[in-house]
Amino acid sequence: MSLHRRDFLKYSALAVAATSGMPGFLARAATQATGQKTLVVIQLTGGNDGLNTLIPYSNGAYYAARPTIAIPKKDVLTLGPDLGMHPSLKPLMGLWDSGQLAWMENIGYPNPNRSHFASMAIWHTADPTQAQAEGWIGRIAEQIGDPFCASNIGSSTPQALRAAEFSLPSIDAVDNFQVKLPAGLEGAFGAMLDAPRDGEADYLVRATRQMMSNTQKVQANVGKYKAGASYPEGKFATQLKDAARLIASGTGQRILYVSLGGFDTHAGQRGEQDELLATLASGLAAFQTDLERQGVAERVVVMGFSEFGRRVAENDSAGTDHGQGSVMFALGKGVKGGIHGDSPDLEDLSLGDIKYKQDFRGVYAGALSGWLGLNARDILGGDFKGPQWLA
Amino acid sequence: MTLPPYSRPLTAEDAAHLLRRTSFGATDAQIRALVGRDARTVARELLSFDGAEAPGNPFDPAQAATPAAGLQLIRARWLFEMLYGPHPLRERLTLLWSNHFVVGTDKVKNVPALTEYLSLLRRHAATPSFSAFALDVARTPAMLRYLDNDQNRNGKPNENFSRELLELFTTGIGSPTQQNYTEEDVKEGARALSGWTFIGGRGNQKYLEAPKFVFNPKQHDNGRKTYLGKTGNLTGEDVLALAAGHPATAVFVARKLHRAFVSDVPTEAAVKGSAETFARTGGNIRAVLEELLSSEVFYASRAAVIRGPVEFIAAALRSFGSPKMEAKQLLNLVQTAGRMGQLLLQPDTVKGWDGGREWINDTTLLGRMQLAAALSLGANAPKLDTPPTPLALLGTERAATAAALNGLSAKQRTYLMLISPEFQLA
Repeated sequence: MSLHRRDFLKYSALAVAATSGMPGFLARAATQATGQKTLVVIQLTGGNDGLNTLIPYSNGAYYAARPTIAIPKKDVLTLGPDLGMHPSLKPLMGLWDSGQLAWMENIGYPNPNRSHFASMAIWHTADPTQAQAEGWIGRIAEQIGDPFCASNIGSSTPQALRAAEFSLPSIDAVDNFQVKLPAGLEGAFGAMLDAPRDGEADYLVRATRQMMSNTQKVQANVGKYKAGASYPEGKFATQLKDAARLIASGTGQRILYVSLGGFDTHAGQRGEQDELLATLASGLAAFQTDLERQGVAERVVVMGFSEFGRRVAENDSAGTDHGQGSVMFALGKGVKGGIHGDSPDLEDLSLGDIKYKQDFRGVYAGALSGWLGLNARDILGGDFKGPQWLA
Repeated sequence: MTLPPYSRPLTAEDAAHLLRRTSFGATDAQIRALVGRDARTVARELLSFDGAEAPGNPFDPAQAATPAAGLQLIRARWLFEMLYGPHPLRERLTLLWSNHFVVGTDKVKNVPALTEYLSLLRRHAATPSFSAFALDVARTPAMLRYLDNDQNRNGKPNENFSRELLELFTTGIGSPTQQNYTEEDVKEGARALSGWTFIGGRGNQKYLEAPKFVFNPKQHDNGRKTYLGKTGNLTGEDVLALAAGHPATAVFVARKLHRAFVSDVPTEAAVKGSAETFARTGGNIRAVLEELLSSEVFYASRAAVIRGPVEFIAAALRSFGSPKMEAKQLLNLVQTAGRMGQLLLQPDTVKGWDGGREWINDTTLLGRMQLAAALSLGANAPKLDTPPTPLALLGTERAATAAALNGLSAKQRTYLMLISPEFQLA
């Protein structure tokens, strides 16, 4: 194929012209896009079982409810007198020991919804009434007036990154994130985009222009990065490496979003979840090492969640069904390590599930105001108090 | 209320619109052959497909050397059918149903189970009975495995299928103020579905062994249950019939059809029209589609559906007149669709792909540009006797895009049309 890799600067005229047709928030100057601090959000898709992640290993009720799938006490990575981590999370023990890993217990929201999709939408919109279509990160983009303030690493954009008029970028693989127009077609391409349109066609024109500007920004920077750690095999770790690369090369996103799926463990949970947690922990440990070596660890924190936890009692397929409250985690030098919240109460359940005691929007509020320096109230639509998980 | 019919003879743009939505796309000649015809007759003809398949399909999943190869071959065999088969609407509907009654190859890797599932979707593509369709799907080993109903036993319920049956396959959740079902319905449904399982084909080694549905009466909960307001010794069949026949199901399924064939953001009034036809005909999808595809609302909705990756690929090649491609190229196209967000039979979750604007982000747009270049300018681009016209690729001869094409070579024109907003819409 006779395609030439083109210098992105040649497209700068196109990219500048692109902003003229943008909806309000997209056209504003992106002055705050290069904030110093970055939040990395990790989504565990499918409903991660919190009880087998942060294990109440001194509680007999835990073992009684889970005769097959409970983590044996001898395997638990002890964190305190009542709680310990799943053995697959061992790569994170160094971070725990140095006070850079926080667990938040019994996180949820009022009137829990056991549908994966409704519950995920609640976490994405930060709205338990599900009245909003925009994501909480999309609203950040609107507040600071920069559609490039956050990026998903992956091929499809989660609702969290949806704004009123636009989805924020998804970067599947940094190396491929560039436009290669065939030689001699730049003018015709520009003229083709310039034709007046409305409706979905107009949406596609705006999306294309935004994409050209985003790819240009990324490619102008990422060459500066050299990996500072060896990452494990697999998509999740590769995506974390891309996140480290974007951060270290200063592309300017305030938030990066990475997902790991497969946590819907209705049957044969031990094998599946054990492997997923190992993937999670080994990837995050490499990521932190990389950030240290790049000299940027001070300005990055990671915050992880899943749409719900799972029922306390195991089912008869050696798995667990959809539950309510669960754990969140955070890690990084800016985090106040430790366990925030009480060990889950297994004697006082709601329909067989752990009751939530801390609202996830309080955890978000910490990230927004405490870490990113944004107005959490405007973004979350209310004042939410949560655990003090930032140092 | 039914949908008001479109009563004028089809123009070239009408015909292009119809074939974009129902046949992925078509050549200039195929479009022009419908000019002047009556909308209802044409819709009926499009819907009167049989089981005939594309001749010479080079992909045979039964020959797979490994489970992973089996999945590749199943996908490629299906894509071949979409590109070259005699009934593109049947395949468009099969794609739609695979995104409704979702199973995923993350869990289901058995070749005969997936082949059976796909041929069932094809057989029911324009089913006269949605209820019979739902029941048949529920009993495929692919679905039993994917949503764990094979683990659902008397006194040891597994609620996974029971929940998704209501939430995603039939009634939908409803609104926060008016929920279509309760948690209790999910639990009771699981009891009624207990004992539905399959034998054979389990485990990685047996990926070519055909599994078979069985009802295991010893594992079935015979007690009284209450489900969607009905009480009795309900069976799995009862639960499927109650869920499929629920009034909310008519609206839920009608909305899906409108999202595929009318607009990514359908109007509730039009959805209601089709829902009433669905209810009146006892869930006759063929009747709903025939009415829909010959309605005013259908012909008034241009460029309102963003093509998904598989549709993008099929549209390009169908508009080119289905040129011959090497088997390896077709396998590559399957993977390319995956990189653009749609690996066949493998959506991220049981909800399937949301479609619409969700198809579009920086990465997928880049993927579309790269693919368009490969199909038009690349060294291995299909050889075309006649270059595709603006009518075939853009749906109109008067597109604003056309001016930008002046003075370019045929290949360059094709490339720019493929990356235009107009081509990405149906």
